[in-house]
Amino acid sequence: MKHLPGSKHVLCLIAAVALGAVLSSCGKDSGDHLDVIALGFDGVDPRLCERLMDAGELPNLNKMRISGGYSVLGTSTPPQSPVAWSNFITGGDPGGHGVYDFIHRDPSRQCMPYYSAARTIDSDEGWEVDGCRIPLTFWPFNHVAPHTILSRGGTPFWDYLDEVGVPVWVYDIPAHYPPSISRRGNVRCLAGMGAPDLMGGLGGTYQFFSEDVFGVRKEAGGMRRPLEFSRHAATGTLSGPANTYCPDREALIEFTVYRHPKEPAARIEIQGQTIVLAEGEWSSWTKLDFELEMPQFMPNSHVSGICRFYLQQVHPTTRLYVTPINIDPSDPGGQKITEPPEFITNLADSLGLFYTTGFQEDHKALSNRVFTDEDYREQADQVLQERLRLLDYALDHYEDGFLFFYFSSTDLQAHMFWWDSDEKHPVRSPEDARKYNQVIIDLYKRMDGVVGDVVDRYGDEAVILVLSDHGFSNFRWQFNVNTWLRDNGYLQPPNCRSLLSSRPLVDWSRTRAYGLGLNGLYVNLHGREREGIVYPGERDALLDEISEKLLALRDPGNGRPVIAKVYRAEEVYSGEYVEKAPDLLIGYYRDYRASWATTLGDITDEVISDNDSAWSADHCIATFEVPGVIFSNRPVVRVDPSLVDLAPTILGLYGVPPSETMTGGSLFVPGAPSAVSRP
Amino acid sequence: MDTVNSLLIHGANALLWLWDAIGSLLGRLWSALDAILDPILSPVLAVLNPACTVVGDVVYAVLSPVPVWFGLTVLSLLAGVVMLVAFRYVSNQEAIGRAKDDIKANLLTLKLYKDDLRVMFHAQGRLLWAILRLQRYMLTPVLVMLLPMLLGLAQMGTRYQWRPLHSGERTLIRMKLDESLEFAENGRFAADMRYAEDTTYTPVADAKPGVTLEGCAGLIVEVGPIPGGGEMVWRVRGGEPGRYQLRFHAGDDVIEKELVVGEGLRRVSATRVGSDWTTQLLHPAERRLPDRTGVESIEIVYPGVDSRVYGANWWVLSFFVISMAAALILKPVFRVRF
Repeated sequence: MKHLPGSKHVLCLIAAVALGAVLSSCGKDSGDHLDVIALGFDGVDPRLCERLMDAGELPNLNKMRISGGYSVLGTSTPPQSPVAWSNFITGGDPGGHGVYDFIHRDPSRQCMPYYSAARTIDSDEGWEVDGCRIPLTFWPFNHVAPHTILSRGGTPFWDYLDEVGVPVWVYDIPAHYPPSISRRGNVRCLAGMGAPDLMGGLGGTYQFFSEDVFGVRKEAGGMRRPLEFSRHAATGTLSGPANTYCPDREALIEFTVYRHPKEPAARIEIQGQTIVLAEGEWSSWTKLDFELEMPQFMPNSHVSGICRFYLQQVHPTTRLYVTPINIDPSDPGGQKITEPPEFITNLADSLGLFYTTGFQEDHKALSNRVFTDEDYREQADQVLQERLRLLDYALDHYEDGFLFFYFSSTDLQAHMFWWDSDEKHPVRSPEDARKYNQVIIDLYKRMDGVVGDVVDRYGDEAVILVLSDHGFSNFRWQFNVNTWLRDNGYLQPPNCRSLLSSRPLVDWSRTRAYGLGLNGLYVNLHGREREGIVYPGERDALLDEISEKLLALRDPGNGRPVIAKVYRAEEVYSGEYVEKAPDLLIGYYRDYRASWATTLGDITDEVISDNDSAWSADHCIATFEVPGVIFSNRPVVRVDPSLVDLAPTILGLYGVPPSETMTGGSLFVPGAPSAVSRP
Repeated sequence: MDTVNSLLIHGANALLWLWDAIGSLLGRLWSALDAILDPILSPVLAVLNPACTVVGDVVYAVLSPVPVWFGLTVLSLLAGVVMLVAFRYVSNQEAIGRAKDDIKANLLTLKLYKDDLRVMFHAQGRLLWAILRLQRYMLTPVLVMLLPMLLGLAQMGTRYQWRPLHSGERTLIRMKLDESLEFAENGRFAADMRYAEDTTYTPVADAKPGVTLEGCAGLIVEVGPIPGGGEMVWRVRGGEPGRYQLRFHAGDDVIEKELVVGEGLRRVSATRVGSDWTTQLLHPAERRLPDRTGVESIEIVYPGVDSRVYGANWWVLSFFVISMAAALILKPVFRVRF
């Protein structure tokens, strides 16, 4: 047989292509997959949704309702976002994932608080030199460098999809920082709420420069620094990330502000970059290179961060706001905020720079009166615009498999602008309260538009789920748990001011119970708390007594009951993390919430006081008061569906059975309600 | 451990001191050289730059129908050939040939007489001497070709480094002021410049800006000028497409600066500079600024050309790779040794 010229090469080429195809399919299912798109709108409230749907204001969501794809969705106990989204992620209750509150306490250090979903592991190992501690991570030293771990337990349901080769895209997911590793490489995940800024703050740390600030002043969520002008030029200093190797050497960047002598405009010169702003303008994202000083014989290390400048005012007093320094998505260095790690740079290549902190809307700047209401509305709108661009990217790059996209806007704008009552607003006039409540209504309409776009694009071929983790309520009065415990003799001495900071401190040898976080109440248990005095045999009686008194409590100002439900951990949770749970979870009626002081253990004079914060709406109350919503383009037939049903639903769509730790069932299959979150 | 730490820290300090000393020495040398070259090269460049710009315009008019990458390739190939030919006639080919033969011979010696230390050392010394000779013979053609090459590269830079401002696109205009004139008896303008730097906020009612920018269709001024730090900065947006002369009124003087708005690649002069020869060399497309206006330079921050082949900074790499490859390949054709 006569061979064609070059036939050997052709055969080799075909063989190579075939081999490549086989190899590339290893570990991945190359077939087409069902499309499932879930949009998570944090804090969307069923009451408002239903009112707006009835009024014809949410046509796209209403279409789903008419076709049977709508239900109120049971939230978590307590209804806090990290807890609720952890229920969504794992398909189980907090007993299975270990997140009970934003704030947990370490009983081995009595009640030292920490963020519940991620922890930084400090290390005292390293070479001590020149005032620094350098971990030598190589053999034979094998020091451990400080690092952050995801402390939420449980298995994300998309790991099971990963195992069977379903492509998964998860954007901005809360309570999942740092994101877990994808075993089969089918998961693309961007961490959301819980991802810190470069300074390590959970909510981010803004920096505010003003002529009327004298000396550096730190406050919750930010810091204020002075700007002193001479000949219309002033020098400011931006703080950067903590230098974990040489803690005494701060990473600072100096910049100069030149203001126009009479016009409302200024120029900022920073690291060779020039930003010219008129009053009221925001800069685009600016890259900053923070130099971390190392011992003299070592090269300094560099960390890239991004921020935006907002020239709030020029004359007569110049005020300049700088956003928290976000991790630079185009150069994240050692910070892992996506899985796989290079996913974040892919996003930055396509979209440019964007917010990478978990909390993007700077509500603390509004609470601390750095922002006006309008400033906050504008900043929150910028966040939303960025997220909508990210959603466009997500949809453009989505072919099949499971896609989840999270929006924080509906939650963090509602916290600051929601007010559906004619009663007096904590900080606004009735007209302003109505005006800004309209912002929330408009936001719901925009979200309806987003849903409409997704349905138009994928409605025929994809299962679409639209969900929220909880609803909303006005926050008019704050209840200080520790003041109540002190006044009722559970917390001693009678004049104590704090569990942790202000003197006189609590006397733990006489204290039987304490409150920490937004809903948690703990017994000072012997053998668990470092200075515990309540023996396990006494615990139940004490909890019964406290629960009874709390439920009987009336607000002396108006005679209304304050607490709707007190949950016992062992009654509402099951799983390996139940031991970490607060002994009691306090479920408030609408309009009430734990006081600001309570969350970190401070004790005020009054048990119940007016909420005087711009943070005027909340959801950390009784579970039944603030359920979320579920919409779908398929009929939802499950009775009383709950967040924990989402994981089995999505797995079921791909024919993957739910894991043993999942407590719910499919929304699309008739069935009994889940055991959890149905108090 | 403390001794080791101390040694490391003192060693690092010594190295840093040495580094600073070398930097300082080089800085002084450059200053001295600059002082010698400036009075010679500055007027020369004032004559050469406009001529080169005319030549550049003709060349790019010829290349305009072909894709940008192709034009760059052609120019790089031509430059490689021209360099090769120039090298042949400017250099001492015979001496270069001898030096290269010496290098080869001594390398061979090193290979053959590995066991004879005396021969090895002798060959190494001769090898080093041959290399030094070769460098010396190369120096003359390099010096001869340096200025034409830099002039050519500067012309290419005006086409590949920046692109015109798009309509609606935002950028900055920076006018750098000559601070040494701050107290000069230079009439109203110098006084206005000083005002821009020195005045305090009150009273401002009668304050006048030292520089104004005349309106033109190619530009929309959004903010500015903001004075400070020895310069004035405007934030602007591109207007209607075209090539414009911006007119800055600085006291009694009117200073012009070219602006290009539009799509595609065209000759773009990012900065109009003063009499300093190094900046004239880098920014050849506009006449240098008149002396004693109080303005050192005017820069329009044009966006860089976005291409990994002919874009900002990449074009230099492409040029050198292609021209060097052409020179190496064509070396035997032109019978050049280097």
